[in-house]
Amino acid sequence: MNPHAKLICTVSLIMGTSITISSNHWILAWTGLEINTLAIIPLISKSHHPRAIEATIKYFLTQSTASALILFSSMTNAWSTGQWDITQLNHPTSCLMLTMAIAIKLGLVPFHFWFPEVLQGSSLITALLLSTLMKLPPITLLLLTSQSLNTTLLTLLAIASTLIGGWMGLNQTQTRKILAFSSISHLGWMIMIISYNPQLTILTFILYTIMTSTVFLSLAQIKVLKLSTMLISWTKTPMLNATVMLTLLSLAGLPPLTGFMPKWLIIQELTKQEMTPMATIITMLSLLSLFFYLRLAYHSTITLPPNSSNHMKLWRTNKTLNTPTAILTALSTTLLPLSPLIITML
Amino acid sequence: MTYFVIFLGICFMLGVLAVASNPSPYYGVVGLVVASVMGCGWLVSLGVSFVSLALFLVYLGGMLVVFVYSVSLAADPYPEAWGDWRVVGYGLGFVLVVWMGVVLGGLVDFWKVGVVTVDGGGVSFARLDFSGVAVFYSCGVGLFLVAGWGLLLALFVVLELVRGLSRGAIRAV
Repeated sequence: MNPHAKLICTVSLIMGTSITISSNHWILAWTGLEINTLAIIPLISKSHHPRAIEATIKYFLTQSTASALILFSSMTNAWSTGQWDITQLNHPTSCLMLTMAIAIKLGLVPFHFWFPEVLQGSSLITALLLSTLMKLPPITLLLLTSQSLNTTLLTLLAIASTLIGGWMGLNQTQTRKILAFSSISHLGWMIMIISYNPQLTILTFILYTIMTSTVFLSLAQIKVLKLSTMLISWTKTPMLNATVMLTLLSLAGLPPLTGFMPKWLIIQELTKQEMTPMATIITMLSLLSLFFYLRLAYHSTITLPPNSSNHMKLWRTNKTLNTPTAILTALSTTLLPLSPLIITML
Repeated sequence: MTYFVIFLGICFMLGVLAVASNPSPYYGVVGLVVASVMGCGWLVSLGVSFVSLALFLVYLGGMLVVFVYSVSLAADPYPEAWGDWRVVGYGLGFVLVVWMGVVLGGLVDFWKVGVVTVDGGGVSFARLDFSGVAVFYSCGVGLFLVAGWGLLLALFVVLELVRGLSRGAIRAV
């Protein structure tokens, strides 16, 4: 891609995210969201493949609809209460419309249909941006208004997202679609706890960002786009495949890895709020996603692929030093013993 | 006055319906013109006449004219005009949706428009929207820069999407 265009898009992404997360006025928040949508369009379509163009169009249409709904909900609230403060969203129609708009923006069920297809149409690094950076402004808006939103609706969205994220991920062989469904199910966990303890939503989001970034960056280094490529990638980078396995198990939420921390704290908080059946349901539904994480982890470390390989290491290799991946891997597997420190920081 | 403003609103809906029923762009432009004229009229009824004037000039006089010129370069041999069954079908479908929305939204008993304007109770000498432009350039310069960057970004994104005659994003490989 043209370096100048790439620079403008990257700077606009950072600017749009900063504008939305630091705003107090709805119009400024909407402006940041629109700048983000515009800036990522060329990044999704940069390979000029018909699948990428289709992904770009789908992304643009859904995000614009959601932005328009956010604008309508803020205007309805301003018309009835006379102020544009984000934290003072009191009109019931506005709260409902905003919940639906943020659900479309994030890719929560039942508005999740665009997400796997958009991720599949973009490159791995653009998919990383779509899963982590583009989720930050909508989650911020949801956190700011979480006290006024309908708890039952949020709980329904959360359980449906965990269910569909786990269930539909089972039949996927393309790694980007697997990670899309993993993202949907993690978002379900985040939305579950937002009415009771928004700090846990922030914690889950930060840890999910670290773990997903690790997986995406590692997969981008070994250029693994489907399960069959994953099976034979151990010959190129055996150490990276081992760490990918650990990171995937961390995403699945297995102790003693980092991914256990948000799930543990969320279950504890739900039980404290007398929502034990919900805690049980959401934990059981995470077992579905555990299956495809295990399958992916198994494929990354298996040393006997279906096609025979006569040697362990390929002799023609281009291993580049990748410091961010290393740092993120360390964070995404070893942060659990620091839970007391992290809880105090929240 | 109320009836006139309601008439503007209904014509706005009809104009939007004309665009949404998917005719060929030459015929859809008529709907756009009607919708924007009625929208500007509604803005005048609210009291913000400067914004209405700016919208008229920029939207109708700038963007629509450029749109018509670009569309006239890409002609299709059998355009779907108003009498086409696909257009009529879409149109009837959207009329149904709007009817449902009006009935369920409870708008059938809300007929108090066109009586009070936005700055009807203030004590300023200048109109609200006009003095707002002055604020945009003085205290609100941050938002001005952000809005300006947003517009520039839209331009750069469109240029990046259509760059490369046949290897651009819009035409498939």
